Parts: sequence; structure tokens; C-alpha cells
Amino acid sequence: MRHNKHSLVLVLVFFLLLPLLSGCWDAMEMERRANVLAIGIDEADEIDQKKDGEVAHLKDSFLKPKGKLMKMTVQIAIPGRIPLGPDQGGEQKPVLVMSVVGHTLEDALINLQQQIADQVFLGHLRIIVLNEKVAKRGTKRLHDVLRRNPEIRRTAALVVSKEAASQYMKLMPGLDRVPSLYLADMVDNLSALGRFPPSFIGLFWTIYSSKGQEAYLPYLTIKQKGIIELKGLAYFKEDKMVGKTSPLEIGVFMAVKGDSEGGYGAFVQVPDTDEMVMVRVRSRKNKMKIERKNGLPHIRLKIRYECEIDEKASFKMKLNDSRVLKSIEKETAKDMKKSIEKLIAKTQAAGSDVFGFGEHFRAKLPQYWNSEIKTKENWARAFQQLTYDVKVDAKIHRVGMKAK
Amino acid sequence: MNTRKITTIQATAILISTIIGVGVLPLPLFAVQEGGTGAPLVTFLGLALGAIGLVILTQLGIRHPQKTIITYSEDIIGKWLGRFCSLFVILFFFILTGLTAREFGEVVVAGVLQETPLEITVIVMLLLACISCRNNINVFSYIHNFYLPIILAPVLIVVALSLKNANLLYLRPIIGTNLPDMFIGTLTISALFQGSFIMTIIIPSMKNPNQAIKASLWGISISGGLYLLLVIATVSVFGTEEMKQILWPTLELARTTAVPGNVLQRLDVIFLAVWVTAVFTTLFSSYFFTIYSIKQLLHIQDHKMLSYFLFPFIFILAMLPQNIFQMYEFIKFVGRAGLLITILYPGLLLMIDFLKNRRLKGSASQQT
Repeated sequence: MRHNKHSLVLVLVFFLLLPLLSGCWDAMEMERRANVLAIGIDEADEIDQKKDGEVAHLKDSFLKPKGKLMKMTVQIAIPGRIPLGPDQGGEQKPVLVMSVVGHTLEDALINLQQQIADQVFLGHLRIIVLNEKVAKRGTKRLHDVLRRNPEIRRTAALVVSKEAASQYMKLMPGLDRVPSLYLADMVDNLSALGRFPPSFIGLFWTIYSSKGQEAYLPYLTIKQKGIIELKGLAYFKEDKMVGKTSPLEIGVFMAVKGDSEGGYGAFVQVPDTDEMVMVRVRSRKNKMKIERKNGLPHIRLKIRYECEIDEKASFKMKLNDSRVLKSIEKETAKDMKKSIEKLIAKTQAAGSDVFGFGEHFRAKLPQYWNSEIKTKENWARAFQQLTYDVKVDAKIHRVGMKAK
Repeated sequence: MNTRKITTIQATAILISTIIGVGVLPLPLFAVQEGGTGAPLVTFLGLALGAIGLVILTQLGIRHPQKTIITYSEDIIGKWLGRFCSLFVILFFFILTGLTAREFGEVVVAGVLQETPLEITVIVMLLLACISCRNNINVFSYIHNFYLPIILAPVLIVVALSLKNANLLYLRPIIGTNLPDMFIGTLTISALFQGSFIMTIIIPSMKNPNQAIKASLWGISISGGLYLLLVIATVSVFGTEEMKQILWPTLELARTTAVPGNVLQRLDVIFLAVWVTAVFTTLFSSYFFTIYSIKQLLHIQDHKMLSYFLFPFIFILAMLPQNIFQMYEFIKFVGRAGLLITILYPGLLLMIDFLKNRRLKGSASQQT
């Protein structure tokens, strides 16, 4: 009897262990996944237009969204070929580049899945490159699926490219074995070096959603084979790109926005001479006051620069006098003020408040905001009438290790 | 055998781990939907309302240190009326248990385990709570104590690391714009504190019931403080407009937050893994409360059997909402309606009890 009971328990235990054999429902082997590392989005050209996949819709029976097709180029990691440590030898390409077309991003992803055996996995997506034309036409249709899909990282980078985005996918930069990682790291490091304000896709969405500011993205261009350059800052109005700045204006933008990390340098003419010195910004301090003047929004901006002199461009001039330094400071401040005003005027003309002045008005003058503005469109209009006072103060504290 | 074993600190821990649960994920969205930039204020008001309810309940408990709301309501408003009201209390926590399990399953299926059927995640979680509920109230308190640090730590870490991306402008103006909406928001938020009702079955087992009020206040301010921190962090990182687009802002916050030095580029998976324990303790409490109260209502000796008996009913209830939007509409409605049970009903009981006592004392002094 006792023996029977014992074996009964044993059998029961076996049954209890049985479910463990089945393992995890969501188990997925690494090499069964197609890890998408980067996505480039272009407008489909005439030839590509005809490649419509008819996977997510049929020509007649299922309606399809209006608008042009887009071409999506992806970089997929090939299992086992991503180098993990220092050089592991082998000259094989670590990634596979593919192009598909689709009406929306999800449509393109479905078409992509139709063409590869492994399951498409977006959890390692590091960078999304948008062609300038796509950005100008409007990025709205891309964001929904990116927000909805739980695999997407909010910290992935989003950039605008001058050339076709597909070219970026095919690039083979010499500095890194995995091209897309190089691209993504480049964008991340640019903000660490003070070359660009922080920028990632989550931040883009946050700014795009809020009513008193417009989004911005890095604007890249390909120089020679495999070399990418940060060519400026693309600014948006709602979801459409409306313009771009020069690289130096990124620094100006950061000053107005209130980013303290300096990085840009500029030539400044030494007063009363023809000589130039290179003045580089180390850090900035930004104070902004907002008010209403004659019914219009008005801002008073006070920016204080901490600079250093990196180089003087001539041998004749002497730089060993605190008075000369003072005059350079003044000249610097004057130049900076001019470029700041120019940039504000430029964005005002486009109706794109990339600086986020509107957020200040919304936060600090809620009565004005609620009675007169309320929506993003209204603010874009009010921003065009915004008046401003800019005061710039530059201080040069360092000149390096040279006495003259 | 001494049945009064729960210390004040243990009671506090039970409260904290019960209150912090599934609500952590959608809480900032609820607050922002109704309060806009006033979300932290709405949360604070909700916290205050929840605290008032808890204080009332604790006072009742201190006045009747041997009994729970199921038993002393019979003394206060009469046997049958008391039992009738208790039925609603039990029903409410029964529904709450089902909805908690469902909300948990919904998050897991949408966020991490996409292939796993919803039913499986819900069953596993419910079964866990169901089996744990067979223990007595002392083991109940040990389990809560054991998990408490695991519940608090991840939220604090995510909040601390995310402040790097914060923009204080998003928090202003502090007083939101729409007052009637803010009032509804306050009710919705304070519904998230309803787990604190568990206090009523803890007090009879406390070593020192007079300390219960201390435990209540500490418990609700720590959990409420954590909620407040979360709302402030999410609003300052995302801004109110972006948050309205996100179902679970807290989860999204964890996804945006990276541990410095490229150690972890997103924290959501780790956060979710730990959040499971927080859900478990909440579910455990409401399940325990339901069967414990049924036991007392029906004067059964033991609550163990009830645990399995209720399981299928709770599971079916959890499966009722057709989709996630319907579920949240339901949760919000049930939560707000539940305030009648968790705040108004104890409030009435306390008032009647107070008046009755005075009359008793008055008649007693007349006699002497």
C-alpha cells in the first residue's frame, strides 16, 4: 500500500515536470532572427513604383493607402559575422543590404519578411536614415509603426540625409567593421562632443508632440567613399522638414536652445587689423526672459560664452596683451549676436520654432497661451511675429600654451 | 498560540507592496489625461484622498481591534445590513483581482512575450496567487516583507537615471488648466490606492493595533511618494502631449533610459521582470482579502479551500474585457465606483459608530 502511494507521487511529479519540457513560448534562437541594424527610407523612383509587393493588399480587393510608394533599404546582421572582439580575421561582409518597397513602413516590413527566411527583428535597430525628400514630404506616416512596435528602441538615432538613404546602407566606413554601428555611434558621439544637441528618435517624438516647439534632426552628407559629414541641422515644421542650417549654425542653435556643451569654433577678426584668430566655444550660459510687448510675444535672450583661442592665423600679429584679448572678446560677441539674429530670422521665415520658445510661453504665461494660442498651428503663426532682444557676452580665459 | 504577530513595520511593508502594483504603468497616463501639466498635483490630490480613506478605515480598526470590516459592520449597522454591504466589498475586491490579473497579462503580451497566449500569462499569475493564499496571515506578511525591496528599487533606479533627459519646462504650469477634469483625475488616481483596504484584515493580527495609524500613514506616503516621483519623472521627460500617445509611460521611460557606460541600453525588460513581483504582491493581497472576507462572512473555519474554489471565477472575469481599451475603460469605471466602497462606506460606518458610542456613554452616565 505504502509502496503504491510512493509511486503515485512519483508519477505525479513527472507530470508536473512535463510542462517544463515545452520551454518558452517566445523562445527564439539568435540565428533564426534577421536582426535589422539600420533602415534607410527613400521615395521609390519610377522603376520601383512597379515593384509593389501585393503582400499586405491586393490590387483590386483590398484597398491600399494613398500616396507614393517608399523604398526601404535595410541592413541585416549576418549571424556569426559580427565581430565581437578585436580583429577576428575574415574579409566577409558582416551585413546584408536589401531593398523593398511599400506604401507604409509596416507594408515595407511585411514585404521584407516575405523575402527572407528568418523572422525580422527590430530590437537592435540603431539608426534610421531618412532621405531629404521623404523628410520634406512629411514623416508622419513612419512614426505610427515605430511607436507601436515594442521592439523598437526609443534611443535609436534618426537622421536626414542629402543623398539617397540606400547609399548610407551600402557604405563601408573604414573606422568600424559594422557600418550601421559606425553611423549610429557617430550620431551619439556628435552630441557628446558638443557638435550637435542630443538627438534620438524618442526625443524627436517628444518635441514633435509638444505644442510649443518644432523638431530638428542631424543632416548628413556623404563626402567621399565611406566618409560621412554632419552638414547641418534639419529643422521641421510639424512633421515636414522645412530647411537646414550650415554646420556652424548648429553651434548658434545650441546657444539659443541653452545647451551648455560648447564645441564649435569660428574665425574672428582682430579689430583694427586684417588678422584672424580662431575662437572656440568651451561652454555657454543662457538666460531667457519672456514677456508680451504690444500684444506680441517677446523674448530677451542673454547668452554668455566662455571661449578659448585655439589658433591665430598669422605670424605678424602679437597676441600677448590683455587689451587685445578684450577687443577680441567684443568682436566675438558682436559676430555671435549677428549670427544668432540671422538664424532666428531664418527659422521665423519658415515658421519653425526649433528653439522651443513656445514651450516657455506655454509654461510661464499659461493665461496668454490658453486664451490666444492653444494649438501648434497658432503658435507657428505667433512665432513668426515674435520679437527679440539678444545680448551676447563673450569671455576668453584661455589661450593655450603659447606666450605670443 | 499567539495570533498577534504582525509588527508595525511589517504592516507598513504590506501596505506599500500592496499599493504598488500594475497601476505603476498606466498611472502617469491617467494623471496626464485628466490633469495635463497639473498631473503631479492630480496625483498628490489622489494620494491625499486615498490617505483620508485609509485613515478612516484604520480608525475603525482601532475602535474594533479584534474584528475586520466584515465583522464589525454587523455590530455597527446591524447584522443583515452589515452583511449586505460586506457582499459589495467582497464583490469589489473579487473584480479588482480579476482586472489586476488581466492588466498584467495585457502588458506582458504587448510588451515582451508576444507569442504567449494571454490566457497562459493570466493563469500562471493567478495560480501563483491562488496557491500562496492558502497560507495564514503571518506567512502573508512575510511574503510581502520579503519582496518589498525588489519592488521599490527598480522604480527608483529608473527614475534616477531618467532625470538626465528631463526638461523642467514640461512640468509648468503646475496647476493644470481644466478643473472639472482634474477632479475626475483625482478620483481615478486615488482608486489606485484601493489596495490599502487590506489594512482592515491586518489590524486584528497586529501586535499593537494602536500603532496601526502610524503604519497606514507611512505606508501610503511611501507608496504615494513613489507614484508622485514617477509622474514627475515621466512628465518631465516626455511632456504631456507625448504622454497622451503612450499607453504605459512608465514602461516607455524604462525603454528610454540607459545605464551609463553602454552597460544596458534599455531597461524595460529588466524593469518588467521585476514589476512582475509587484503585480504578484498586489494580486496576492486582493485575492487574500477576497477569500478571507468570504470566510468571515460565512463564518467558515478555514479559508484554504476557498482559494481554489474562486480561481475559475476570477479567471473568467479576467477574460471578459474584449480588448485593452475596453479593459481600461472598465478599470477606470470600477475604480471610481469602488471609492464608494473603500472611502464612503467606511466613512459612514465610522460616523454611525461614533454617534452610537456617544449615545451609549450618555445613557451609561445617566444610569449612574
